[in-house]
Amino acid sequence: MIDRRLVLAAVAALSVATAGSAAFAQVPSGKVTVVTSFSKDVTDPYKKAFEAAFPGTTLEVQNRNTNAGVRFVQETKANNQVDLFWASAPDAFEVLKRSSLLQAHKPVAPGIPAKLGPYNINDPDGMFFGCAASGYGIMWNERYTRANRLPDPKEWADLGKAVYHDHVMITTPSRSGTTHLTVETILQGEGWEKGWATLKAMSGNMRSVTDRSFGVPDAVNSGQVGLGVVIDFFAFSARAANFPVKFVYPSVSTIVPANVGIIANAPNPAGARAFVDFILSDAGQELLLMPAISRLPVNPAIYAKAPEGYPNPFKGAIGLPGFQFDVSISERRYAAVDVLFDQLITFNLEPLKAVTKAMHEVETRLAKRDNPAARVLLAEARALISTMPVTAAQAASDEVRASFQGSTPQAKAPRQAELEQQWSSFAKEKYAAAATKVADAAKLVP
Amino acid sequence: MTAIPGQIVITTRRQSVPLGQYLVAGSVALFLLLFLVIPVVTVVIVAFVDPQSGGFTLVNFADFVRNDLFMRSFWNSVYVSAMAVAWGTVFALPLAYITSRFQFRGAVLIQTLGVIPLIMPPFAGAVAMQLLFGRNGSVNLLLGDGFDINIPFMEGLNGVILLQAIHYFPFILLNVSASLANIDRAMEESAQNLGSSGFRLFSKIVFPLAMPGYVAGASLVFIKVFDDLATPLLLNVKDMLAPQAYLRITSIGLADPMGYVISVVLIVVSMIAMWIATMATRGRDYATVQRGGGGLAKREMKGADKIIAYGVVFLILALTLAPHVGLILLSLATVWSFSPVPDGYTMAHYGKVFAESPQFIWNTLLYATLAGVISVIIGSAIAWLVQRTRIPGRMLLDYLAMGALAMPGVVIGIGYLRTYYGVTLPSGQSLATFWFMIVIALAVRRLPYALRACTAGLQQVSPQLEEAAENLGATKARTIRKILLPLMAGGMLAGFVTAFATASVELSATMMLVQNTSDAPLAYGLYVYMQSPAGRGPGAALGMIAVVIVGLCTYLSHWLLDRERSGGVKP
Amino acid sequence: MSIEAATRAKASGVLVEDVNLSYGATHVLKSINLEVHPGEFFAFLGPSGCGKTTLLRLIAGFNIAQSGRVKIGGEDISTLPPWKRDVGMVFQSYALWPHMSVAKNVAFGLEERKLPKAEIDRRVTAALDLVSLGHLADRRPSQLSGGQQQRVAVARTVVIEPKVLLLDEPLSNLDARMRVQVRRELRDLQQRLGLTTIFVTHDQEEANTICDRVAVMNDGIIQQVGTPMELYEKPTNLFVAGFLGAANIVEGEIVSSGSEHVFRLGENIQFPLPSGVKPGSGAKLVFRPQHCRFQVNGAVNNGPAGRVVHREFLGAVVRYSVSVGAHEIIVETPFESGDALVETETEVGLWIAPDRLRLLVN
Repeated sequence: MIDRRLVLAAVAALSVATAGSAAFAQVPSGKVTVVTSFSKDVTDPYKKAFEAAFPGTTLEVQNRNTNAGVRFVQETKANNQVDLFWASAPDAFEVLKRSSLLQAHKPVAPGIPAKLGPYNINDPDGMFFGCAASGYGIMWNERYTRANRLPDPKEWADLGKAVYHDHVMITTPSRSGTTHLTVETILQGEGWEKGWATLKAMSGNMRSVTDRSFGVPDAVNSGQVGLGVVIDFFAFSARAANFPVKFVYPSVSTIVPANVGIIANAPNPAGARAFVDFILSDAGQELLLMPAISRLPVNPAIYAKAPEGYPNPFKGAIGLPGFQFDVSISERRYAAVDVLFDQLITFNLEPLKAVTKAMHEVETRLAKRDNPAARVLLAEARALISTMPVTAAQAASDEVRASFQGSTPQAKAPRQAELEQQWSSFAKEKYAAAATKVADAAKLVP
Repeated sequence: MTAIPGQIVITTRRQSVPLGQYLVAGSVALFLLLFLVIPVVTVVIVAFVDPQSGGFTLVNFADFVRNDLFMRSFWNSVYVSAMAVAWGTVFALPLAYITSRFQFRGAVLIQTLGVIPLIMPPFAGAVAMQLLFGRNGSVNLLLGDGFDINIPFMEGLNGVILLQAIHYFPFILLNVSASLANIDRAMEESAQNLGSSGFRLFSKIVFPLAMPGYVAGASLVFIKVFDDLATPLLLNVKDMLAPQAYLRITSIGLADPMGYVISVVLIVVSMIAMWIATMATRGRDYATVQRGGGGLAKREMKGADKIIAYGVVFLILALTLAPHVGLILLSLATVWSFSPVPDGYTMAHYGKVFAESPQFIWNTLLYATLAGVISVIIGSAIAWLVQRTRIPGRMLLDYLAMGALAMPGVVIGIGYLRTYYGVTLPSGQSLATFWFMIVIALAVRRLPYALRACTAGLQQVSPQLEEAAENLGATKARTIRKILLPLMAGGMLAGFVTAFATASVELSATMMLVQNTSDAPLAYGLYVYMQSPAGRGPGAALGMIAVVIVGLCTYLSHWLLDRERSGGVKP
Repeated sequence: MSIEAATRAKASGVLVEDVNLSYGATHVLKSINLEVHPGEFFAFLGPSGCGKTTLLRLIAGFNIAQSGRVKIGGEDISTLPPWKRDVGMVFQSYALWPHMSVAKNVAFGLEERKLPKAEIDRRVTAALDLVSLGHLADRRPSQLSGGQQQRVAVARTVVIEPKVLLLDEPLSNLDARMRVQVRRELRDLQQRLGLTTIFVTHDQEEANTICDRVAVMNDGIIQQVGTPMELYEKPTNLFVAGFLGAANIVEGEIVSSGSEHVFRLGENIQFPLPSGVKPGSGAKLVFRPQHCRFQVNGAVNNGPAGRVVHREFLGAVVRYSVSVGAHEIIVETPFESGDALVETETEVGLWIAPDRLRLLVN
């Protein structure tokens, strides 16, 4: 019932809002085409509300995953038929922006602040706009944790604990812009070396690293995997669908915005602008509160209408990192971070898991009977695992960047495949060496 | 030289140029060029381009060989494909042999049910199998409660092998059944007469005779598994070639050629597999056409044999239909999480699907039917050119069309966008996103199935039957219409059904081409549903609807063909 | 007009002129020249691979020669496609269309000629009656016996009243008893229809029993054309001699022995030759087994001596194998009740009527 009411509210709000400015604005009509990675649960209410608010328009929703969507827009730019791109991953918008596939717009969006925690809500150049936010956290299946006697997790660090070994799942940052943002946040928050050490310790417990964002909540919902690192709305909407899952924001989390942008050369620019403005209006923001959508509005005022217990990031419901997120660093090493994660973790998960498991075992034994020599060996092993093939500076260097930009050749840069092979064998070597140390340590504590 | 039936050398080098043949060959060649060769070449050409100089290079292939991940993926793909063939054989051979050689209650039902796994809607198979056989699936939860054991059916490559074997084993079943039906029963009877029976009879006589069918089916399974990316990805297996290619090609922000290099490797390996299969069966087609009907005598089974046979058949069917059983449960489940069976049951998902997205069903019927028809037309044209004419380059058409088997759907999808997006229709819409391009993509992807079925259908028509018509005054065109088409209708229908059934659940190329939801087929709808927790039930319901529709259409076309065949006979 | 009258009126001669045909490097037909007279029952006889079916298919238009011409009734049809030739062919496999009833099979050629429905019905009935299959018109081919299928194939072909009827080994798929019966039926039908008919077979008995004239083919070459009797009596080469009926063929040389000439076979074996034969180096002597006689104990007219090594009792005749030096000569003697048979290992003297000997000089 709540959705019907919200839709009505939206219509009412808009008819008031547009009454004043209708004389000046071009009246939107016709087909408005949006490429989105959002599920039907999200798009259907927006379609209904938008079409009701602007009679004569139809919202044509093309559901594609983010990567395929970007590909589609790139491949079809010669004869563009798409008005809008609407997705979570900010990097997808960065790519579109870099390829000049977005057009600027100044949305009428009173009440939306410039920043949410350390993150900018809108693109500084006005090419895309944050329209909702989501916090990262841990989701788990209660039946699973009960059956396997796992404690409820609270912090990111918990996921590295022995008890969770082989029970956790994550999406690879190269396939999920939101995961990428989380990884980048950890790297900026903890520093390059320490950040990677955290990531590797956590990843050593992973059951698998999937390539689909929805793969994680899907596996947790069905109980195939116990815990998953997910965006909050996956857990909220799963709860709304009665799955036995729970969710927690760790004390320091990340916020990822959902964005919308207008495609350059959009066939229906008036309609496109109207849709952006609609999403950012109070009515559009209120729709986010629907249980099946469950995203966080970027307009702080909207939380007044939220049900009891709805997390409000503006009021500290989600612990945000205290540092300033540096977009330019993130941008420079974007591909490098993705490829490093894949080569060091995703595609070397088996050896990483094996050595992590062995370390957990030795630690368990050490807890019963201490052995300083073994502890030294373990520390050495841990150091080996966290060693990185490149420094933070190298990762953001022009040379490495050139390797990932096939179209702008630079004579000295190795080809991407060569670089990948180097990094991968580096990791393999270190993990093997670490495994030997751990085995030696194990001999000391029989 | 004296002609022996079936070995007649037909000269078509008439004094006048066979214009009609060139017209047919030209049209087919144009179709393949426009919708297969050019789109694929525009995509994979990147694999041969030096990123620095922009010239031709093979350095990317050297990178492929030097890269551990790619080589591991390559060998994993080979291993998984080979194991899927092995398990597919284990599933298919008993079903084919028992139903074709013994009096077996429900043989027709078994043959029909045996084909159902081919119709596996995307996502559905993997999701359902995880729920049943996954680490915390029904079977392992029950085993865990009862015996405290956990069998890793679905772990890593095992899961891919199991699911692929279940999905594709019907290719072996269909081909071996067809081969068995065409073997002169005297061959088996003479072996029995000489004292052979049971497994020895099967392994020394029956199986070698059915070898051409087996190799055809097995090579098809190998190639499909080798090129399939959806199943491994859904089971979170990424170190196989097809998923690597997909991940590379669709990763944003990266511009390296390795995805296309892997695509080329996929294509080459598939071609080699087809070539090996052709070589292995060359000159070994022992099938003989039975004279004057009669059919094979089916043997009676007794006592323990009978019980074992029924047991084996039941077990195989239970396993191979498991994904569909899981899908039914899922489509009726309220919540199904970490429990052997769902918490409760509801019809609401079906209601939701019918209320929200009936257009998916109609689109699918329309697209798959058109795609089936197109692929059968092109397929039978190629079969005819190859078997009945001497036109230069006819074998090339055959190889090209079969090559579509090896083209990853993503490559075709992107290729169509690249090639045709700039072409605008009078309505202003781009040709690449016109719904008919989905049909074309489906037709091209299903062409190999249709081609093989049409080729087999045509092989069964003796050229003398056509010569007799020409001799009695029928021109080539009329001979084709009045003699050839009716006689190869069975083969064409078989091709249509396979193409239709598999096209109706295809997603990979479709995904790139769907422009709006109102034009989208069912598989796309299923994908959209399956992206949200609440959409899982409706997604499964949509999958079930697909299976039922395809099953019904298959049954209907068989029924029509039977009626057609028996219609002319009067008592 | 009845079928009989129509076919008789249309019957045409076939003329094959200097035809050569190759499949790649294989020269299948070599300079074939041939004339088949109107109304004639003609056979192409030869072993497998001799080119006889290729020649037949050439006349039907399914094979195309590299050179030469085919004329029917004086008209050059070499460049016509099969469907314009008006030449009826019965295939070895019969090639009955399994998806059509017997009547539809027979009606096919008439429908192609766009005849009125009533006319088609009338002629189909007449053709089926001609082969006594009127009662099976609605059956499918698969429901007929081999002999019935063969008759349907013939009916389907003659119903179009072709100028020439081609039969490609039409009896090969029948059992021995049926074969004898059907070949008589074929002959009778051909006589009634007066159709120019060309019959391909590898069985000399079939050719001899029903055909007016026979062309013996081997290795892509027409070896000899003639009536069955001419071919049997006067083979012009060894192949024809050996292919038609049993024949003794021995190789030796002709030498003069005084005014006479003899055929010498090794050191001590010689056959007297009829006068008028010229001596030469090598030659082959051909004679039929029934033209040989032998006598127990003692030579006959200077003929060679030999020993009986094998005996077959065939009813009307007894066939002996007599070894003469390194050669084995077959001798057939008529058998009358009460005759005693000659035992093996008996020494005998051989004699062959000189006028029955045929010498083929290399």
